[in-house]
Amino acid sequence: MTERLWRGCLTRRGAVRAVAGFLAGSPLVRAQQDPFRDHSRVPGLGELKTTFDFEPVAYAKLPRYTYDYTSYGADGEFTLRRNREAFDWVDLAPRSLAAGGRPVSTGVEVLGTRLEYPIMVAPSAAHAALHPEAEVATCAGCAAASNTVLISSGVASLSFDKIAASTKAPLWYQLYPSRNMDDNRKLLDVVQSSGAKAIVVTVDQQAPVFERIQHDRNLQRPPGGGGGRPAAGLNLYGVSDRRLWYEWKMFDELRAFVRLPILIKGVMTAEDARLAVEHGLNGVYVSNHGGRSVDYEESPLEVLPEVVDAVKGRVPVLVDGGFRRGADILKALALGAAAVAVCRPQRWGLAAYGGAGVQRVFEILQAEFRLAMAATGRTSIASIDGSIVRTYFP
Amino acid sequence: MNRWTRQAAARLAAWFGAAPLLDAQQPTLIGEPPGRIAPAGELVNTYEFAAMAERRIGAATFGLVADGERGGFDRITLRPRMMVNAQGLDLTTELFGERMFAPILAGPVAGLARFHAEGDRAMAQGAAAAQTTLVVSSRSSVRFEEIAAQTKGSLWLQVYPEPDAAAVRARVDRAVAAGCKAVCVTVGGPEAGGADWKGLAALRQALGRTPVLLKGVMTPEDAREAAANGFSGVVVSNPGRLQGTAQAIDVLPAVADGIGGKIPILIDGGFRRGTDVLKALALGARAVLAARPAVWGLAAYGAPGVETLFRLLQNELARNMAMCGKVTLADLDRSLVRIHRR
Repeated sequence: MTERLWRGCLTRRGAVRAVAGFLAGSPLVRAQQDPFRDHSRVPGLGELKTTFDFEPVAYAKLPRYTYDYTSYGADGEFTLRRNREAFDWVDLAPRSLAAGGRPVSTGVEVLGTRLEYPIMVAPSAAHAALHPEAEVATCAGCAAASNTVLISSGVASLSFDKIAASTKAPLWYQLYPSRNMDDNRKLLDVVQSSGAKAIVVTVDQQAPVFERIQHDRNLQRPPGGGGGRPAAGLNLYGVSDRRLWYEWKMFDELRAFVRLPILIKGVMTAEDARLAVEHGLNGVYVSNHGGRSVDYEESPLEVLPEVVDAVKGRVPVLVDGGFRRGADILKALALGAAAVAVCRPQRWGLAAYGGAGVQRVFEILQAEFRLAMAATGRTSIASIDGSIVRTYFP
Repeated sequence: MNRWTRQAAARLAAWFGAAPLLDAQQPTLIGEPPGRIAPAGELVNTYEFAAMAERRIGAATFGLVADGERGGFDRITLRPRMMVNAQGLDLTTELFGERMFAPILAGPVAGLARFHAEGDRAMAQGAAAAQTTLVVSSRSSVRFEEIAAQTKGSLWLQVYPEPDAAAVRARVDRAVAAGCKAVCVTVGGPEAGGADWKGLAALRQALGRTPVLLKGVMTPEDAREAAANGFSGVVVSNPGRLQGTAQAIDVLPAVADGIGGKIPILIDGGFRRGTDVLKALALGARAVLAARPAVWGLAAYGAPGVETLFRLLQNELARNMAMCGKVTLADLDRSLVRIHRR
């Protein structure tokens, strides 16, 4: 009888287990923990079916700061959201019979660079924060995915010559121009001799604030340490004027020592596209810096038609901002883009699986793009035109 | 421990686990204890001032100045121009002979003592510290002369077209003697009573050489009438906030077209971000009034909060202007914006 009583009674071990269970289930404890990050199962690469699938894996693997750096937009992130929303305002018109059973060819040449698909990797900073092999892993993934062209960032973790030495895939180079033209010349001499195929000059995002990161920075500041924004190098209104000096004549000065095609990245209006062509630039890259420049800009997809109209085929038009699917890319090509650059999915792929993740991201996009072409009855890039889309921009 | 003690302990633990008390704890943001009032310098936008103000003064009082509908701003996008040297960025503007540091004013709010013990005095002090003109409400908790006596900042006065025009005039005269630079006459709200153009014209005449703005204009017809009746400017504003009526920013282009530059247009209603201000300036406003955000800064931190808030708005306006390739306010026109369908 006594033995039966004891058998049904709570043991010390059971009590400890119960308390531990209680603690684990308590909302107080859970609030300090991020269930996604701390209990994430890393799926196999083959389990990921769309580029969207890479984001949660990257989120689970990255420190908060690095994830935020990849995901944030300027100010209230209106433009960041609109960049994605805009794809819902363009419909593709399926017409699969028009292909007539012919094979789909996706290759195209842009400014002398052969692209197996009109899909490039947009420049983004410091890949070492995402993966220890940094840009070398990115390049390996790109090369494995049909030699996808990386526009190597001017603020990469590795120098351009090292990145170029690591890969056989073609590379473009993105420049944040320095006010000192000698510095630009020295840098671009190395870049050109290392085999870059084109120079992309970023001219937007001159003085942005990212509230998510700013909030964290402010919290990290010691109490009474001033708060607000850093005071050095600011004008009367607290704006850093480090990048406010850009003028068109800068391109004339760059041209003196650049043999490669020069593109201007950050154009969002027909007026600037026209000026870019007039200043002899070789390509116009429509971008709002992934929603990280001026908040309340339109999405690049919305302004693409006006830019294409203004350029009148004189130079190729590239575009980035919110591209996540093959169909997104086809929509941009139908609206006149020569090629599309993809940024955040590449960063998710790299953070989640290194080079193999980058490769998989682009293989997914390429397969989706090929399918979208077939579904709209297009068998070559040259045959993609405005007749396969209807636009409903507000 | 015998069996019963242990079972009691187990039940207590189970009760604890399910206790609503634990659930009722406020969600904790990373690095931010519940109910914490962060130092003003940590805040990154005006909405965070609202959150801090609500923590400080409670939901009931905060409800008087809670944020309103502002969908109109989401239908206006910006078209930034590149390659314009913006190092000479300049936000100053001249209104009624007065040079302003930035085209953002603190709008009139009645009874500021409800939100902060120092009320109007702290508001004036904070606005002056941010080189911002304050429009003092005719229902201020402290008389205009007293506010003016302890600030060097620029002050305007807001009045209602009350039936007793002589009293309004006397009030304005006292304010002007104390340094008031301009007067806003508010129409359309419940406080304004049954004002008509005859009465308004008479009031405008009575106020003599003081610049007088008509506040509460929402149509081009009223704006034109205001100009014809000698008003020095209009403030586009929807004072009644009647459900189903347009927002001020929605009607601004039409009002600007109606006036055709004859008198300056100011605007009030829903301005929360520098880009909001930028849009209004591009659509023809000369300056913008921010009333609720100013109260948020005041309620949460007193004068330093008002100062930080206006500095924040000035910074947002300045850096977005620079990124749009606009260097002075004279560079702003409608080519900067695109208005989208609903």
